[in-house]
Amino acid sequence: MSKMRYSRRSILKSGAAVAAASALPAPMIWAQEIKNITLRQFGTGVSNLNEVGQKVKEELGFTLEMTALDSDSVTQRAATQPDSFDIADIEYWICKKVWPTGNLQAMDTTKIKNYDKIVGIFKDGKLTPESVVAQGTAPNTVGFVEGPGSTAFAKEQTQWMTLIPTIYNADTLGIRPDLIGRPIESWAELLNPEFKGKASILDISSIGIMDMAMVCEASGKIKYGDKGNMTRAEIDQTIAIFTEAKKAGQFRAFWKSFDESVNLMASGEVVIQSMWSPAVTAVKSRGIPCVFQPLKEGYRAWGGGLGLSKSLTGMQLDAAYEYINWYLSGWVGAFLMRQGYYSAVPATSKDFMTPNEWGYWFEGKPAAEDIADPFGKVMAKAGESRDGGSFYERMGHVACWNSVMDENQYMVRKWNEFIAS
Amino acid sequence: MEPRPRSFYALTAFFVLFVIFLYGPTITIAILSFQGPQGGLTFPMNGVSTYWFHNLFEQQAVGDIWGSFRRSFALGLMVMAATVVISVMAGLAFRKRFRGSAALFYLTIASLVIPSILVSLGVGLIFDRFGLKVHWATSGFGAQLTWTLPFGLLVMFAVFNRFNPSYEEAARDQGASAWQTFAHVVLPIIFPSVVGVALFGFSLSYDEFARTLLTAGSYNTLPLEIFGMTTNVTKPVIYALGTLTTAFSLLIIGVFLLAVWITARRRARRMASLAKAG
Amino acid sequence: MAVSRNLQGWLLAAPLTAVLAGFLVLPILTIFIVSFWQATEFSIIPAFSLENYQFLLTSPVTYQVFFKTFVYAALVWGLTLGIGFTVAYYLAFHIRSEATRMVLFLLCTIPFLTSNIIRMISWIPFLGRNGLANQALMSLGIVDAPVEWLLYSDFSVVLAFVHLNTLFMITPIFNTMMRIDRSLVEAARDNGASGRQILTHVIIPLSKPGIMIGTIFVLALVMGDFITVRFMSGSQSANVGRLISNDIALLQYPSASATSIVLLAVVLLIIGALMRFVNIRKEL
Repeated sequence: MSKMRYSRRSILKSGAAVAAASALPAPMIWAQEIKNITLRQFGTGVSNLNEVGQKVKEELGFTLEMTALDSDSVTQRAATQPDSFDIADIEYWICKKVWPTGNLQAMDTTKIKNYDKIVGIFKDGKLTPESVVAQGTAPNTVGFVEGPGSTAFAKEQTQWMTLIPTIYNADTLGIRPDLIGRPIESWAELLNPEFKGKASILDISSIGIMDMAMVCEASGKIKYGDKGNMTRAEIDQTIAIFTEAKKAGQFRAFWKSFDESVNLMASGEVVIQSMWSPAVTAVKSRGIPCVFQPLKEGYRAWGGGLGLSKSLTGMQLDAAYEYINWYLSGWVGAFLMRQGYYSAVPATSKDFMTPNEWGYWFEGKPAAEDIADPFGKVMAKAGESRDGGSFYERMGHVACWNSVMDENQYMVRKWNEFIAS
Repeated sequence: MEPRPRSFYALTAFFVLFVIFLYGPTITIAILSFQGPQGGLTFPMNGVSTYWFHNLFEQQAVGDIWGSFRRSFALGLMVMAATVVISVMAGLAFRKRFRGSAALFYLTIASLVIPSILVSLGVGLIFDRFGLKVHWATSGFGAQLTWTLPFGLLVMFAVFNRFNPSYEEAARDQGASAWQTFAHVVLPIIFPSVVGVALFGFSLSYDEFARTLLTAGSYNTLPLEIFGMTTNVTKPVIYALGTLTTAFSLLIIGVFLLAVWITARRRARRMASLAKAG
Repeated sequence: MAVSRNLQGWLLAAPLTAVLAGFLVLPILTIFIVSFWQATEFSIIPAFSLENYQFLLTSPVTYQVFFKTFVYAALVWGLTLGIGFTVAYYLAFHIRSEATRMVLFLLCTIPFLTSNIIRMISWIPFLGRNGLANQALMSLGIVDAPVEWLLYSDFSVVLAFVHLNTLFMITPIFNTMMRIDRSLVEAARDNGASGRQILTHVIIPLSKPGIMIGTIFVLALVMGDFITVRFMSGSQSANVGRLISNDIALLQYPSASATSIVLLAVVLLIIGALMRFVNIRKEL
């Protein structure tokens, strides 16, 4: 029965029926079957929001089960438990680790309707034609493979994409301006003894090491060949500087998920730390001043995307493509942009945002009226503008991407020692 | 009554301080769970409301509290049943020395003291190597049993150490089969302890974290969900959950005490009426 | 006869044996084997290599971390023993009514029914820089500035450990104390022993089995813990459990396994030594 319906859909897709099918919303045709489809998605709490699952149920008809985990658990599950998920919502550096296991299947870009509108960063690596690709695991370097089934990354754009980009952002240090009381301009301030016992850094090695590198480079203590691919000596030096600071009591705590960073900041335990945009948003929405401070050395960027489990086939695979196309069609992008992230296809998200929201979040303009987060809490008053300015100003000043280095295993061991020391 | 020695008052003070220490955090989170809708996980309070208790019953931004609660409850019952049956059987076995019983005993003790994360890691590795899927009801269930069974067995030892075999002998002399002796003589006597084992089994499973961490698969149990919440949730809803759990435990213990008190009174009344009749 | 006795024993113990074999012995063997394997960033490769042990045993961090684990274990053991013994003694010998004793004992157990993790994190708002403790201290004028070491420090780690594990000390000690023949205490008193003498010469020696069982529980729990240390130290300090869980999180299963095997050996040695002092089976 199920096979028959499926083949009817295949027939419909071909020939003259294509016109009819595209005139009708595609999900209508297989409405009966699709209700029984369940896709299991897992990823970080950043984008694994139940609102998205509900909206999928409403608009596409199938069930999307969401599991939110921290980055390390996400990597672990994607690498070791391929049967436990259908869709992996992972970051690009995680992709670099996980792709060679063969647990994910490449996606055919010809089936992605909005492929052409995806931002250049994820295709040739360039935001604008003049941009230079930043150091680290830039999304374009792990975004494509030569063919379906290939486990090696392609150097250039191909028809086969590893992850469909969903959200990304440029990160910097978060500060409590009320408790610091002076301008902060450099990454080097994280190790300033002035903030002894009031600083924090995140305990996720691939990201933390990049924040460390930004700090060490900014303070002039280390000159890196390539921050995104350090040598053992560079790793040793970097970790040594931070171990010393840790022993001297510079840090109050380390955090592993952005919500922990929210708590540290909101409770005043920490006044300067590595932070992610929605965490700053969350602190602000409690009425506590918090700034996502643009720094002269530039941003550390990250990007995430959806990957398909290799075990997806048939109708489930079709549903997954359906879901991805829907994901890029604007609603989710707008939903996430309202939390301070960027959508991979900003053009479609614009239709789902008010001009005021678009101006504030994307164009960096002062808010014409109060800006609310997706849950209705006011987080910026009329007249305020976004820290760091417009999309192009922020994403144009990326110094490096979160990365996985050639010496990653060595780095991980040193990181473990740093945490344990 | 003889007067209390001075040490009594010092010890009472110590006990009171200890109870405050025990309940301090519980009370802190009980207060914080009444945070206003804008409030955070820490002081200061931002208004007072029951918002977070209502919120607890609504859909969360991430995760699925009630789904994980149902799974933990089901798993708790499974572990409870298995713990009761297996420990009672093993308890009976250990009443007589059999070859290898000492080794088995030390293995059980080892099961108790081996750090939980090792069991979790090992079971996870085995399932991975054999290409099996980890799931809370298979690998999670087994991993938890390595924690509840030693407890169950220790309780059974305590019971059978003080068990008077003459009851059984009497039953056997009257021609009862081994099963009849067990069902009608032994079981009723050890029943209160069996209930104890059951409660132990359930609550140890219900709160087990480390052993389920790498063995639960795609669906979280409640402790894993709470762990996830501590890293994913910045709202006092987690405190509301904690406060409700404590209130629920208090309620269960209250019911239990009431039941004990009622049976005791009934028995006393029956004794009294018997005495009158006699 | 002996054969059938053995057979009956084994039949009855079969389910227990099966569970322990499948979910304890086999996993530990697997860990042992995997500890000689090697890993890439995402998978483990069968091999025979001593590299994991070599890295572990030559890194100074390993020794620091083991030392820290022992320090935590010793501190927590001392504190839970002191508190647990006092509370058990009070309940067993100073409370005269059986019902009151029952209620007070239950009072001690109730918090242990709330999730460990929730009980742990509920210390954070209490001890934080702007937490209740600091607010109280400052409003009483005891300190001028918030006390920093209350949270994210060894102090808070030990505090949480004691809070979480004291019941495991109280229960077995209370249990043995309740079985001490009261006439022994009477006899000692009749012979003119002081309260202190009764305590040191009668009650403490007779409570030893309970103390030992409690000790085993507490040491096993503290030495194997990883989550309390992570939460209460704000990830700033580490014990062996955290070393293992960090490795697991980073998919370094072979190196996690090697650390696990060393930890297992240490725990079993300590507990084995303690077991020589008490026959658990007889004393229950």
